Amino acid sequence: MSALASPLLLLGWDFRQTPVEVREKIAFSPERLAAGLAQLRERGLLGEGAILSTCNRTEIYGLAGRALSSADPFGALTAFLAEFHGVPEGDFAFSAYRRQGAEAARHLFRVASGLESLALGEDQIIGQVREALRLSTGAGTVKSVLHRLFQKSLEAGKRVRSETGLGSRPISIPGVAIELAQKLYEDLTPRSFLLLGAGETAGIFYDLLVARNATRITVANRTLARAEGLVRRGGRAVAWEDLELHLPQADFLVSAVSSTEPVITAEMARRALHLRRGKPLFFLDLGIPRNVHPAVGDLDGAFLYAVDDLQGIAERNRQERQKEIAPAEAVLEEELAAFMAWFGALEVVPTLTALRQKFEALKESEFDQALAKLDHLSEKDREKLRLMAQSLVRALLRHPTEALKEEPDPARRLERAEAVRHLFELEP
Amino acid sequence: MHSLAWISALAFLLYLAAEGAAIAQLRKERASLATLTSLLLLTGFLVHFLALELVGRATKMVPYHGLASSMSLFAWMIAGAYGVLRVIHRERGAGPFLIPVAMLFLGASMLAQPAAAAVPDPHLKGPLFALHVTLAIFGYAALTLAFVLALLYLVQHRQLHLRKTGLLFSRLPALDVLDRLRTLATAYAVGALVLSTLLGVVWAKQHWRSLWDAKVAITYLVIALHAGLLAAPRFGLGGRRAAWASAGGFLLVLFSYTVVNLYLSAEHLYR
Repeated sequence: MSALASPLLLLGWDFRQTPVEVREKIAFSPERLAAGLAQLRERGLLGEGAILSTCNRTEIYGLAGRALSSADPFGALTAFLAEFHGVPEGDFAFSAYRRQGAEAARHLFRVASGLESLALGEDQIIGQVREALRLSTGAGTVKSVLHRLFQKSLEAGKRVRSETGLGSRPISIPGVAIELAQKLYEDLTPRSFLLLGAGETAGIFYDLLVARNATRITVANRTLARAEGLVRRGGRAVAWEDLELHLPQADFLVSAVSSTEPVITAEMARRALHLRRGKPLFFLDLGIPRNVHPAVGDLDGAFLYAVDDLQGIAERNRQERQKEIAPAEAVLEEELAAFMAWFGALEVVPTLTALRQKFEALKESEFDQALAKLDHLSEKDREKLRLMAQSLVRALLRHPTEALKEEPDPARRLERAEAVRHLFELEP
Repeated sequence: MHSLAWISALAFLLYLAAEGAAIAQLRKERASLATLTSLLLLTGFLVHFLALELVGRATKMVPYHGLASSMSLFAWMIAGAYGVLRVIHRERGAGPFLIPVAMLFLGASMLAQPAAAAVPDPHLKGPLFALHVTLAIFGYAALTLAFVLALLYLVQHRQLHLRKTGLLFSRLPALDVLDRLRTLATAYAVGALVLSTLLGVVWAKQHWRSLWDAKVAITYLVIALHAGLLAAPRFGLGGRRAAWASAGGFLLVLFSYTVVNLYLSAEHLYR
């Protein structure tokens, strides 16, 4: 039997300790992920296995296989990765984190809830964990333990998001801009957007608006051809000279052009607001130097936000999220305790104890019922029957006990324990 | 009446608890707190209904025959209107500001509760009169809702304008939502008050010598002002200006409900 502290293992690298040049060398594409897991199992390194590979992390979760050394279970896994990716071990082994048992499970729960993310509390990771489970299940290396571990981590992630404020306020500039816009008009889909510029920033906002099903997008740029290139997924490009013509029709103006002078003057904004007959207009100025004259912010019906404003809000939101770490961790610990109770029950000793108790209870109840009907038996015969029943229980338990205790592969041992628990309806 | 006082007090306490849960939800947005607020509000609403039902059974009419019971009915309708806002429009940010209004009027009605119910005038019974008064109180409750929504609009507008994006900013609804809900509440109020007035005129022709009364005059003014507010956006007077006008218009409602009812009206005087 292995002397591993726990068969549940995690070997990983993330953005904190491992630079991107290294992370990209040991990342798994969806196609390579299945091959990697298959080899890990064929070589007896993992009994069950799952890989989570994103731009910020590569993590291997698994149940130790029979070929793993109990003294250094992670050494063989690291060597495998080096061979699989064709990267010298020395290039990446130094920054790995290695976890076992509850620590491994806790790490995945933290990852799924966004506590380990670069942007604290971001929710993209929950989809990535779900995708890792799907791909690994497809590779045939996820069975009951890892399936439950990943499912529980997803549930924990959802609970953290619904019960704490960890992911409630945006912390990216585009996220903050969208939140502000939605405080003016809740549904952005039917709203009219005027984007000034066709560079990278305008492109990011264009993509963001298209992703939110906004259809009324107008792009004005000094070079019309570049504006036309930007709106290929919807919207329209207009000549820069017609900017003032289109301004009154816009509910939102996003400006990101390079200009030494404001391209939207207070007078232009005043005329546009007058034509809008009281309907407010949101100015998002992402230009440096500023594209919208600061006096526009003083006009009735105008809401003006510049880059600094958005950065300030993003920073405050980041601080708010920091305050939610402790409540989020409390939720995770609850979920972790439930998972570990189930996982711990799969160990050989508790399973055999539960099985023995079940058999003993059955023996007692059946024996008492039978004896009640056999009142003609002498006390000596009754004792013989009692011993026979005892002997029968021992005989029935012998084979399952040996099968569980003597299985050298920890993953298979847990698998068998779970099968026993399932077949005999043993509670964890 | 003793049991009525206890039931009213229980309704008040339930509204108070709902207010506590709504404030907690404003501070920490949690699904459990939202559910708790809804449950407490609903229970308070039902208990409050029981109190009104007791008054109705005692007087054999809709409970509006005195200032106390009409204020209680008014508070109940505000709580109900906010319940509708929560359920149909999924609006939760306005709760901490609306529930206290219901509590204020319920509390005032409890303090003003007479020891024994006055025996109502037999002419004041009957479905026509009951509908007239119920619609009028509903109209005023809807205008109270519109007033609170207008204030929230002004607060949110100021926060957005001054770039104050704190907790309240994040919890309050978008400006267009507040504007839409305020307009909707005003529309219901105008509809209810017009209908109430028409029914009142039909009833008054049978029982009054003259249709002139200070309450009638002020009601015409309230209807005209708020109907004008509904049309205002077409003339470029939407958003913040409409919110200010709505908030200002509510002063007229308060005047009508208090000074006119207590001192100026000959026929609508609470005795």
